[in-house]
Amino acid sequence: MLKLVHLSKSFGNKQVLRDISFSAESGEITGLIGKNGAGKTTIFHSILNFVKSDGSIVFEDDQITDKTYKSIGYLPEERSLMPKLTVFQQVRFLASLKGMAAKVTRKELLKWMDKLEVKGKIDDKIKSLSKGNQQKIQLICTLIHQPMLIILDEPFSGLDPVNTDLLKEVILAEKKRGATIIFSDHDMTNVEELCDKLVMISTGQVVLDGEIQALRLSFGSTRIFVQTEMTQEKLQNLAHVTAVEKTKFGTYRLDIEDEKYGKEIFNEVTGGHYVKTFDQQPPTLNEIFKMKAGK
Amino acid sequence: MKQILLVLMETYRRQVKSWSFILLVISPFIFIFISFGFGYLSSTFGESSSDQIAIVSTNKKIAKQLRYDKDEITLKYHSQKSARNALTKEKIKGYLVVNQNDSQLVARYVGKEKLSTTQKSNFQQILQANQQSLNVQKAQLTQGQLKALARQSILEQQVSKKGVSDETIKTISFTITIFLMYFILITYTTTVAQDIASEKGTKIMEMVFSSMPAQRYFYGKILGTFAVIATHLLIYLIGGGAMYLILPKLETSKKMFAEYNTMIGKVVSNLLSINLIYVLLGVIIFTILAALCGALVVRPEDTSKAVQPVIYVVLVGFVGSLVFGQNANNVIVKVASFIPFISSFFMPMRLIYSNVSLIQVGSSLLILLTATFGLAMYVGRLYSGLILQTDDVGIINSFKRASKIK
Repeated sequence: MLKLVHLSKSFGNKQVLRDISFSAESGEITGLIGKNGAGKTTIFHSILNFVKSDGSIVFEDDQITDKTYKSIGYLPEERSLMPKLTVFQQVRFLASLKGMAAKVTRKELLKWMDKLEVKGKIDDKIKSLSKGNQQKIQLICTLIHQPMLIILDEPFSGLDPVNTDLLKEVILAEKKRGATIIFSDHDMTNVEELCDKLVMISTGQVVLDGEIQALRLSFGSTRIFVQTEMTQEKLQNLAHVTAVEKTKFGTYRLDIEDEKYGKEIFNEVTGGHYVKTFDQQPPTLNEIFKMKAGK
Repeated sequence: MKQILLVLMETYRRQVKSWSFILLVISPFIFIFISFGFGYLSSTFGESSSDQIAIVSTNKKIAKQLRYDKDEITLKYHSQKSARNALTKEKIKGYLVVNQNDSQLVARYVGKEKLSTTQKSNFQQILQANQQSLNVQKAQLTQGQLKALARQSILEQQVSKKGVSDETIKTISFTITIFLMYFILITYTTTVAQDIASEKGTKIMEMVFSSMPAQRYFYGKILGTFAVIATHLLIYLIGGGAMYLILPKLETSKKMFAEYNTMIGKVVSNLLSINLIYVLLGVIIFTILAALCGALVVRPEDTSKAVQPVIYVVLVGFVGSLVFGQNANNVIVKVASFIPFISSFFMPMRLIYSNVSLIQVGSSLLILLTATFGLAMYVGRLYSGLILQTDDVGIINSFKRASKIK
């Protein structure tokens, strides 16, 4: 388990982290989300000891020190490897820093390249690989030594849907292995699909922390999706409806004052008659993100 | 320690395998071979060149004697006409016509340029000897008179065994040390700064720093670069050693080598002394400073700008030591020999030209060592802050920010 307690950091007069506390469990994926500049990268850099912050960071009951590095796998936000090296030279160098012998690295690299369907050989120069394949090699560098703490900063950026799914499978397999995974992404669908828990950061502070479904429900089921013959105007005039919007799927989205008015609106809309769709939901993660982090 | 070694090896492997390093190392050898090649070619194919002087004489005995150098003088032309034609066509440099009228030898040189002093003196000597013989024949002298006339004055020479003066040896040793330092520093400061600046531009450094502390990576990088420089010097040392063994055996260089053997030995011993420690420490401290400059820029193309301060310090040491030259007792030289960075230029100069006390050498070395370790530790501590910054805020602000990160 990774535990951050009262983490604060300032660069000169600018305070970038304010009393950040959260934990990430082993065998779980924790999503760390927030707008650009919210402080996510500074949190990652603090965990990795790149920057010294006030407060404490503990992984598996120990402070993060040089010895912990071997059990950390980090995939930075932007992708870049050393273009003149071959795939093997690049992976071998980074794996050797984690204490892996060259022979083992070669064997594991071949397995990973096969698993991630990398198009290329281990003796190919990095620069000869496509952007997607370079990204996969970088992920291999992050995971090849079987780290127990994995930090992935926007791992899907620039990947096509097929490769995104492939990477999701790999991340889920790492979770199954028991690793503690912290993951950052601007695509809330990926976060919702992969993460067990969510920590939302805004202006250097934690604004949300908890299990995703529980967090969504805590906002109340104030969204109703309905497919009816009633006009948008009539729907707008219903009591407790604050906004109506027609979706591209032919349904109306009604925002209501409180979820307790759902039954009342159901009766008004259906009038005891058949309707194709009536679905009452909490706000999506994307909507919650805009509400909480978009301030 | 193992991680430092891994970074050292990686840095070393990457640089030594590069074409730029290979070209840098072999270029002086190529230059030497080309120079020797040209020398050989000109001496082999230069016989019929226009540098020759033709001897035209009906007296074959005198003509043969006048050909004291087979490369310089030819007997190919038997008449004045053919020699004149050859001169017109620039096949020869000139021709010497030797005639004997009664008992008088008359020689006339025709050429586009004057004879050199050596050539003129050689010709005169040979002609004079022959004229003397003709004179003796004509005078019909007795054996006793001939013997008395043949008596010559005695000129003795006593040459010191040293061959080359101590002052020359010192100048050569000093010049080699200073130019060696300058050459290495100018080459490698830019290389190191460029290498670090190009690494800084990649996010791979974050992956590296998530595997080992940035400080250790920095030490590995500096040691790796130092290993590359040491390899470079070792190759030259081996090359020099090979030449030291081969040159005395070659016909062309045998004489020259025998003449300067003692001098070469003394110069080598001057170089492989405490001066070498100054050179090596100087290279390390300048490499660290260059690495700091490389880590301050955001774009690799700005490296040459960032490395300018290092180049200026190198120039201060290089030009300063050349300006003060043999004036090793000057107070500026004495002070400079204790200032880190430039002490690597000035202390070797003092050590070569004058007597420096052991205490002074020890103190200067201690200051240089402390400065080198201090700078390495300071830059190492800032290194992650320097490398992980990607905002273009200028060199000064970048440095300030880095010091605040940790």
